[in-house]
Amino acid sequence: MPHRYLQLDVFAARAGTGNPLGVVFDAGPMDTATMQALAAWLNLSETIFFLPPDPGADYRIRIFTPGSELPFAGHPSVGAAWTAVVHGLAIPRDGQLIQQCEAGLLPVEISGDHANPRVAVRSPRAKHLQDHAPLAGLDAIAVPGQAAALWNNGPSWWMVEAASAKALRGLKPDFSAIAAWTNATATTGVAMFALEPEADHDVVVRAFCPGDAVNVPEDPVTGSANALVGALLHAQGWLPGVDGRYIASQGRELGRDGRVHVRVDDDGQVWIGGQVQQVIAGTLDW
Amino acid sequence: MPRRYVQLDVFASRPGAGNPLAVVLDAEGLDDAAMQAIAKWTRLPETTFVFPAVSDDATHRIRIFSPRREVPFAGHPSVGTAHALLDAGLIAPREGFVVQDGIAGKLPLKVNGEGAERTIAVRTPRARVQEIATPDDPRLRAALAGLDLGALPPVLMDGGRRWWLAELASETALRSATPNWDAIIALANATESMGLFVYARSDDPVYHFAVRAFVGAPAQFEDAASGAANATLAAWLAERDALPDQPGGFYRVSQGREVGHDAIIELSIDAEGDVWSGGRAVAVVTGMLDWPE
Repeated sequence: MPHRYLQLDVFAARAGTGNPLGVVFDAGPMDTATMQALAAWLNLSETIFFLPPDPGADYRIRIFTPGSELPFAGHPSVGAAWTAVVHGLAIPRDGQLIQQCEAGLLPVEISGDHANPRVAVRSPRAKHLQDHAPLAGLDAIAVPGQAAALWNNGPSWWMVEAASAKALRGLKPDFSAIAAWTNATATTGVAMFALEPEADHDVVVRAFCPGDAVNVPEDPVTGSANALVGALLHAQGWLPGVDGRYIASQGRELGRDGRVHVRVDDDGQVWIGGQVQQVIAGTLDW
Repeated sequence: MPRRYVQLDVFASRPGAGNPLAVVLDAEGLDDAAMQAIAKWTRLPETTFVFPAVSDDATHRIRIFSPRREVPFAGHPSVGTAHALLDAGLIAPREGFVVQDGIAGKLPLKVNGEGAERTIAVRTPRARVQEIATPDDPRLRAALAGLDLGALPPVLMDGGRRWWLAELASETALRSATPNWDAIIALANATESMGLFVYARSDDPVYHFAVRAFVGAPAQFEDAASGAANATLAAWLAERDALPDQPGGFYRVSQGREVGHDAIIELSIDAEGDVWSGGRAVAVVTGMLDWPE
């Protein structure tokens, strides 16, 4: 039976600049093996499947990469909430929706026009686990004397602040050294960031995960890593922007140009969001 | 402007088992940069873009892009695009053929059957026997060690790219074979060939041969569906009068199960002795693509 299908570009001001996401509607009858096989065939960084929600949730999704299922991920959640509102799967109350995913129930904020809403999802709470001197050749561009900080909000990322945005954008990372470090520490990857005050963004981020995703050693736009950058900057009292809101630029070094909208609320919770472009709409037969 | 878009599985025995392909059915107005950007964004091995034919002797014109660059010609994208155009009713066969125009020139595609049974094949470059060897040839010995060989001798075929073909005694021996990668890489480099292509006759009701393609150079991997390598096998079997007893020199090959795929490739040999290679395609995603110009 054909399913409605969308392919979105998330964190994108225009099609092709963000992170693609496959969206399969009415996946209640699909089994786990089918979802995994479909996500592998589509070969997108993530594909989501809409299922009937349990009481207390407005919609429910399962999230698959080509290789495995994820309990939660930022860019699929932003795309899911956008789809739920634009395609009428759920109606926000007071600008809020509750998403059900394998990690549990998560609040989502909706604002603006329902034909093209702005969406922000609350990231799982960030925890600062430990520090380490930066390795893998990254100490050359890191802020001198500053440790790499291991943070977790589901995935674990080593956070390394670069001394300048220019150095970070020009970095040619040693992927094998990064893979060796992250594999040895059982972490997802290394997220580097630097303040870059420009007209349309405040921070530049790059996320290297060659040990976790061999075929995608640098992720073009990364929800979890951006949420951790927000948490870290908040913890250090260096949050840029106004009212806890700033915009991060990621992916330019890979030919993309993603924009992640980050907000740290009064409770220190990090919300991530951005614009969504609907690129492909149709049906899927499997 | 939304454009018609299809994502197909080519040479697949079931959805998900073949080679994925994206097709933009009306690509007029997209420039080279936009086509390259779309092909990168789809994250598929190839994306094709269809334009109206500019001459009467072609049914359609295509451009083929991998995520990194434009490709002058490739078999599975040509086959898959023709399936998508026929499915959409945008072209019709003329005397059993459609003719694709592209950077590499005009290419006839042979259309057999209709609907879900339809197969489409491309004519492959004429392949010839380069060298017949023996299993104890020093260049081959390590690559063939441990394999349960069949009756035909190992042969180096040249069909544009060069492949060493070796018959195995049974489908069971073929499916359980463990490639000796170091030896295959050495063989590929020493003989300026792609590597080792092994084949075995099968009693399966659907296919006549099972094959596996071990690419040793330039990269090392087992290929899931090799149109051109299979065509060199057809030429070799014809040379040795060893084709399956089928009308029109037609037979089917199973490939890719050992690497998570399950492709069925159809081969046939025409009256001129040319080999045609192709198969079915199934549309998985059908819809519209909206990309800023």
